[in-house]
Amino acid sequence: MESNKDFKAKSKRYSGGWRAFFQDWMILILFVTMIILFSLTSSTFRTTNNILNILRQASFIAIISMGEFFVILTANMDMSLSSIIGMVSIFFAGFVVTMGLPIWVAIVLVMLMSVVVGIVNGVLVVYGKMPSFIGTLVTMNVIKGLYFIYSGGLPISGLPESFNFLGAGYVGLMPFPVILMAVIAGILNILTQHTALGRSFYAVGGNIEAAKLSGINVKFVGIFAFVLCAILTAIGALGLTSKTLSGNVMLGENLLFDVMTIVVLGGTSLSGGRGRIIGVVIGALFLQVISNMMVLVGVNTYWQWVVKGVILVAVVLIDANTKRD
Amino acid sequence: MENIQPVKIAKAGKAVLMKGRPLIEVKNCTMEFPGVKALDNVNFTLLAGECHGLVGENGAGKSTLAKCIIGENRMTSGELYVDGEPINLHSYSIRESQALGIAIVHQEFQLMNEISGLENIFVGHYENKGPFIDWKAMRQRADKILEFMQCDVNLNVPVKHLRTAERQIVQLAKAILNESKVLILDELTAVLQEKDIENIFRIINILKKRGMGIIYISHRLGEILDCCDTYTVLCDGKHIQSGEVKDIDKPKLIKMIIGRELKQVYLPINQEFGEVLLEVKGLTGANAFRNIDLQVRRGEVIGIAGLLGAYKTELIHAIFGNHKISNGQVFINGKEVKIKSPEHAIKLGLGLVPDERRSLGLDMLFDIKDNTTLPSIDRFKRWRIFQDHKAEAKAAYDHSERMDLSYYSLWQNVKKLSGGNQQKIVIAKWMLRNSDIFLMDEPTRGIDVGAKFEIYKLINDLTRQGKAIVLVSPELEELIGLCNRVYIMFEGEMMDIVEGKRKTQEVIIDSLLGINNNGK
Repeated sequence: MESNKDFKAKSKRYSGGWRAFFQDWMILILFVTMIILFSLTSSTFRTTNNILNILRQASFIAIISMGEFFVILTANMDMSLSSIIGMVSIFFAGFVVTMGLPIWVAIVLVMLMSVVVGIVNGVLVVYGKMPSFIGTLVTMNVIKGLYFIYSGGLPISGLPESFNFLGAGYVGLMPFPVILMAVIAGILNILTQHTALGRSFYAVGGNIEAAKLSGINVKFVGIFAFVLCAILTAIGALGLTSKTLSGNVMLGENLLFDVMTIVVLGGTSLSGGRGRIIGVVIGALFLQVISNMMVLVGVNTYWQWVVKGVILVAVVLIDANTKRD
Repeated sequence: MENIQPVKIAKAGKAVLMKGRPLIEVKNCTMEFPGVKALDNVNFTLLAGECHGLVGENGAGKSTLAKCIIGENRMTSGELYVDGEPINLHSYSIRESQALGIAIVHQEFQLMNEISGLENIFVGHYENKGPFIDWKAMRQRADKILEFMQCDVNLNVPVKHLRTAERQIVQLAKAILNESKVLILDELTAVLQEKDIENIFRIINILKKRGMGIIYISHRLGEILDCCDTYTVLCDGKHIQSGEVKDIDKPKLIKMIIGRELKQVYLPINQEFGEVLLEVKGLTGANAFRNIDLQVRRGEVIGIAGLLGAYKTELIHAIFGNHKISNGQVFINGKEVKIKSPEHAIKLGLGLVPDERRSLGLDMLFDIKDNTTLPSIDRFKRWRIFQDHKAEAKAAYDHSERMDLSYYSLWQNVKKLSGGNQQKIVIAKWMLRNSDIFLMDEPTRGIDVGAKFEIYKLINDLTRQGKAIVLVSPELEELIGLCNRVYIMFEGEMMDIVEGKRKTQEVIIDSLLGINNNGK
């Protein structure tokens, strides 16, 4: 019995004291503080409608950020994400509107295309030993070229109304995108925290050599992260497309910056090996709440960019300058 | 080799320091970190022209004392005199200590990997010709230093291409470049081989004759006895004893270091063998070893000895599926296998304890539990998919306790554990995985005496459980004390296998140097 008691003492998560706890959950504490502050000061902010609106707007960007999260977790970076969004949007609309394919077939096709992009990214980086920044920058431009050749840069509108459900539908009071995000986040949280594959992402990002010598298939894990990123990005892109019911190559422009901010805001280490899905979700909500508040106060778009930039700098500075042991 | 004239590296006109004068005096030094007293009222004196061994277990305060002397740590209370002059501790810094002629060479490399050895030596102290860097003068000066140390290192390539020992020599060259009075060698030899260590000793002797004072920090007590004139023992931050090396012997030193007597360093080697677990025939590795044969049975420890450039590590990695094999066969349990990757090797029952535990053995972001269970994560499953965290933690706990690990929580990060404790976790990884064949590459590198003996005992226990162990070590004593047979490699080829009566230092050293008495 003595040893059992000892085991309990030694397997306690925060025996290191409140500091470790605070470092783990700093973003959540900040987030909650901010919500309380905004709710107290703004009567428009605290309406149910506004809260649901924030959740809905944050959903797809959160899903896309979860994709980038996996790549960053394995100490890589995926720059091609904005092109994947444009590609999915324009080809999906093209398949449905121009070629008249059923929606589900079009979805399967664009998903497959994204998987191929993910594999290409992964192979370039993992087997080709290219720095991920360069490798994915190349695919970003190649894809961009291809979809501009396909579409001439013009949007394709005229998607059926029924498709609007994905981006704007409701289940009871809850917007459908929010439910979708919650389900995906739940599954990915289980994947990262409770499966061997999930733990492997952390091992690869933390120390790829040690992971390899411990028997982890580091090549598979590295490529899988890119594929997962492409798939999640495609889901997000379909959602964004469904909001306007038209395929648009420009859909992904400027999104990469927000995605990076969210992933880092969520406590993910840019050098890999540290971070949680729940953090990414909170990061997405965090950014959306700030955007929302800025809109309510009447800050114009360009100033919003400045504010977001300042936030990213602040978070990265904190991340780089606080030691977590 | 001995008759090469030492070349004067000193700039002309510098007086030779007087022997026997105190260069460093530390009085009543106390150093407190939050919650810990790292040094408690320690006194230490270094005289000119002596090599002073500083010994103690990990965490005894050796490195902390060294850091106080160079100004990296500021002592909480106490006095410091350099060359007889009192130092104002409030403003004391690394910069000041460097100006006073105190240099330190660390065990961990502080070189810039991407730039050449030459530039690494001179970085911060470039020689100029007008506005330009005078590469020619620097090259000449560097060549002189290398000649003085009787070392041949290619200084033109980025240091990342150099071997460990070569990089260590670049560090040493950098340290003695600036006319230091005091040289602190912190675990310098922990990563070196016997031949290179002798080389270091020779250099130390020359530096001593020039009146330099050398503080020599090492876990290898044999080196302290061989090379130092005086010693100071620290234990738990307290000063235990100082004196002349000629007055003590190894058992006495060990007793002072760990505060108790160690009756048996090496336990009797297990002599009950089972079947052959691992056999290698005609193994040739790409750009490394050639035509290697070896076999190891259940319950047996085989040693692999070899100098730098013998490709021992490559051999181990090749067996583990992490280095390309161009020819030859590997048999496990009598069956021929083509090992494709470490993953595959682990499935076949192999486990690797790599030489660089910080960069290859452990994930420094992970806690104790995650590191220990990493090779076995696929074994803790609930409903075949989900991780069983509780069972994982329990297994990690059981092994940590069995290993006598000192820790307060399984969630504790491994980064701050001592070298010995870190190494225990690396070994525990494979015990938990229940591997049959342990490939251990310098498992006692850079860990203290107490932890070393624990590792020895562990190896012994493993053999009694019927495990097979392949042990690479630069320390002959360790190989002789632990192994049933010792294979000796020289420049990628197997020179000799010694066992029984032939298992002596003399025989091994001859083969290490490529002198074959065996006629094989």
